[in-house]
Amino acid sequence: MREQNDIIQILYAAIDELNPQLPPEQRLEKSAATVLFGEGGRLDSLGLVSFIVAAEQKLTEMADISLTLADEKAMSRRNSPFRTVATLAEYIGERLAESENG
Amino acid sequence: MVIDFLRQVFADRLQRTAIVWQDREFTYSHLLSRLDHWRSRLQAEGVAPGTVCILEADFSPEAIALLLALVEHGTVAVPLTPAVQTRKEEFIGTARGELAFRVDARDEVSVSPLSFTADHPLYDELRRRGHPGLVLFSSGTTGRSKAILHDVSLLLAKYTTRRHDFITLAFLLFDHIAGIDTLFYVLSNGSCLVTVPDRSPDTVCRAVERYRVEVLPVSATFLHLLLLSGAHERYDLGSLRYIAYGSEVMPEATLKRCAEIFPGVTILQKYGTTEVGTLRSRSMSSDSPWVKIGGEGFRTRVVDGILQIKAHSAMLGYLNAPSPFTEDGWFITGDRVEVNGDYMRIHGRDSDVINVGGEKVFPTEVEDLILQLDNVADVTVYGEANAITGNIVCADVSLVRPEESAAFIARVKGFCRQHLQPYKVPVKVNIVDRHRFSQRFKKLRRRSG
Repeated sequence: MREQNDIIQILYAAIDELNPQLPPEQRLEKSAATVLFGEGGRLDSLGLVSFIVAAEQKLTEMADISLTLADEKAMSRRNSPFRTVATLAEYIGERLAESENG
Repeated sequence: MVIDFLRQVFADRLQRTAIVWQDREFTYSHLLSRLDHWRSRLQAEGVAPGTVCILEADFSPEAIALLLALVEHGTVAVPLTPAVQTRKEEFIGTARGELAFRVDARDEVSVSPLSFTADHPLYDELRRRGHPGLVLFSSGTTGRSKAILHDVSLLLAKYTTRRHDFITLAFLLFDHIAGIDTLFYVLSNGSCLVTVPDRSPDTVCRAVERYRVEVLPVSATFLHLLLLSGAHERYDLGSLRYIAYGSEVMPEATLKRCAEIFPGVTILQKYGTTEVGTLRSRSMSSDSPWVKIGGEGFRTRVVDGILQIKAHSAMLGYLNAPSPFTEDGWFITGDRVEVNGDYMRIHGRDSDVINVGGEKVFPTEVEDLILQLDNVADVTVYGEANAITGNIVCADVSLVRPEESAAFIARVKGFCRQHLQPYKVPVKVNIVDRHRFSQRFKKLRRRSG
């Protein structure tokens, strides 16, 4: 299983790629605590969708991992995995552990 | 006159709140006096009935009073919200706007003349009838939006029956048929319309809690975002009685989850098109995708699996496209449906159209734009399934000569952002080998699952 920190670095790369496309008020800071969506979050729906796609693409490019992050599994969780950079990294870690064990 | 029934309702409810805007409450008495103000002003300035009036606004007290005054004065109103900013000039030209009213963020109105003459035969027909008009825009198949002209006398007929008085949130847009439906439903029952500065889950839930909103008309995408944001846990939504959704296919899982979270709320599906208006509907149950649609003034039939509607309130026609009606006056919706007794299940467009959060994107529009860029040999735009917005827009592009991919993708997205509404901008741009295309006999758009 990958270190949480590696996954966070991949998410930072997604932030770097996405930021220039976002209006200034939606740009994301590279921090594990950065809120992506929900209370205090900066992204709107299209911003969130773009971030998730950028994250999926960076996972493929940088770690050869193919994952669909925005799917029914993610949507049906009581606590959204898209709350912060850290919760998303944790969720990705869990999904990878599942696929390694399963 | 066409809105006398509304004036009667307003007069009965003078002290009741009609509109909540920027956390201020405006009564029906206020709305009535602003309506009278605008009526006098239109008369004083010699605005002729039949004049095509652009109304750049969002839901606000002045915008609503002005819209009603334009209707009562017999003009053709063309509401345009900030959401269509990138297409504004095109829309004004297509509608052949003669006069522009702009309602600013402080709810102050400026008026300016425009250079067009509205001489379209459909406008002539409306003037011959002596009826007010309403122009709304919907996505067109070739990238040019269709301008839909309604006879407002027909459109308003269904609101003359008094129904329930519910505090309702203005979630859907002021220049969409569903937003117009929300507005007239609320006004015709003397209810309160709660407006919001933006449509994020927290803003919407805060307004529901603060103003005890009873009816929340939203999109499937909003419900996904609501669940992800957890906003429903931070606010007291106990006042809600109905959540109405429409305009995009609702995944059953989302529906079931909402039914669990809001056990006391009736969740119902709405169905309408810009061409025929919004039908009355009844869902089989809160967690069921099966719905009965119709109501007075509407008839439905299914031909080859596609829903057709015959409506008393159907539009006069498109200002910029041929008539879409069958010879016997039925409108072909293009929506594939499954029938089970009186109930239908709506599966959405049977075409290449991509539905992003309830907004329709026609691939050809995006393709035509990307083809204008330097170094693009060919492009195929298609939808890919997404759990949040239903679908996302993707583009496969082949290049004339090699180019660094990150820079090229940024260039494509940047150009699209300048020229397209945000939901039409491709989220994924893939550079593909030209050979894959040349071996195909024709462009095949991958279908989302």
